Amino acid sequence: MILELRNVGKRWTIERTGEQIVALESIDLDVGAGEFLILLGPSGCGKSTLLQIVAGLEGATSGAVRFPDVDRAGNRKRTSMVFQEYALFPWRTVLDNVVFGPEVRHVAPATREAAARRLIDLVNLTGFERRYPHELSGGMRQRVALARALANDPDILLFDEPLAALDAQTRRILQDELVRIWGETRKTFIYVTHSLEEAVLLGTRIVVMTARPGRIKQTVDVRVDRPRHLSGRAEAGLLDLVDGLLREEVERAMASDMVVRS
Amino acid sequence: MSTRAESLAAARPAAPNLRLRVNARKALSVALILVVWQAIVSLGGMNPLFLPSPAAVLVSAWELILSGQLPWAVLVSLNRIVQGFVYGSLVGIALGLLAGAIKWVDDVVDPWVAAIYPIPKSALFPLFLLWFGLGDSSKIVTISVGVLFLVLINTVTGVKSINPLLLKAAQDLGATRAQVFVKVILPGALPNIFTGLRLGIGMALILVFITEIEATKAGLGFLLWEAFQLLDTTRVFVGVVTFGVLGILSSWALQWLERVCCPWARR
Repeated sequence: MILELRNVGKRWTIERTGEQIVALESIDLDVGAGEFLILLGPSGCGKSTLLQIVAGLEGATSGAVRFPDVDRAGNRKRTSMVFQEYALFPWRTVLDNVVFGPEVRHVAPATREAAARRLIDLVNLTGFERRYPHELSGGMRQRVALARALANDPDILLFDEPLAALDAQTRRILQDELVRIWGETRKTFIYVTHSLEEAVLLGTRIVVMTARPGRIKQTVDVRVDRPRHLSGRAEAGLLDLVDGLLREEVERAMASDMVVRS
Repeated sequence: MSTRAESLAAARPAAPNLRLRVNARKALSVALILVVWQAIVSLGGMNPLFLPSPAAVLVSAWELILSGQLPWAVLVSLNRIVQGFVYGSLVGIALGLLAGAIKWVDDVVDPWVAAIYPIPKSALFPLFLLWFGLGDSSKIVTISVGVLFLVLINTVTGVKSINPLLLKAAQDLGATRAQVFVKVILPGALPNIFTGLRLGIGMALILVFITEIEATKAGLGFLLWEAFQLLDTTRVFVGVVTFGVLGILSSWALQWLERVCCPWARR
């Protein structure tokens, strides 16, 4: 196992009212090396929070996060995050953005630049090294963010709805790109989305989460050959199955939303 | 992609022509005002005590340059401006970055900013005269304080306007707190810092004039004020125009520096 979550929970307190909110409850999850794991759930189910906890950017209120099989030797990071809003440094060129991780980890300039150029090539951005983020389209920015996350050579890549801000066409292209890069790098991908189609197209396993408090509702193994198409028979069956699971939770989320609001 | 390339290609040949026209209009506007001004004075029999002609101002300026009085006055004032501006900016930027990034520094600095910022810095000059004497120091300190608060406030705004996601991304990529400060907070605040510097240089010019009215025997402000007391209006105009030139040059210098420091924010 490359990642083990044991009974992970997260609570917030709303300062103004003192009200306790349970964002995540008793999450148990084992992730094997090389998986393309999808975390699927209604908005507000805590799936992004779970990702932040795995990244170490948020602390869990209970439970444990372990990385049993991660190689601790050398100057490596266990995880790297790709954010929905890209989070590129606007004052850095494409190359300087990609180089950021190795730079702050004191990798020698020549080494980190050569590695960055290889990654820029991997995400098909060669020729754009000297551009600033604001000179790129959304899809290109997300490619930069992916290359930047890969530059630390992490074992696990964490994606927080990375394609949600893109138009449908660009999203389709980048979905294919992600599958290709996942295959070429042999990294473990943990991918948060609320898109059913994306889950079915990309994942090797889909973890469906419940509405708040976020728990794991069901885990679905995806044994469908690639390339996948939403119109394929196996894919359609899977879509139906996961749709049913997700719909219950979305409805539950909406119902509890109305209770909270009324 | 292709539409952008096409529109760029289409825009290129037209651009120099347009620029020429814009510059011609600007030059014409200046020339027109000068001609009207000269005409009012020479044809309207205007008393040169109130309004000297542009030609007379030019002659007077030339004399003051040849005699060395104007260059010396500019040098003395420039020394006060530059020193005051540099000290004030450095302290303002450093304090602003710290206050923006660290809560307790903000808490310590904030009441002082709230208390001192609204005071016209010229009102502090008498105190600084008492404390630092009649020489350059009192003037430099006054200018520094004036610049400091403008730069400080804008730097704090700059730090607080940084997208928190960028701090998170830097942390996720392995940056230490110190690295986040140098590699994210500083460049992220830089555009606002330059806003503060632009306001600061204007403040420095105002304060150098005010501090040179009294208690000094040198500087552009002194030259202007002495001319006024002698009712030498032509010379007053020379002083005013020279201040204008200093203002334009300093703002050009800052624009250049901003382009060098913030190439990503090119407007």
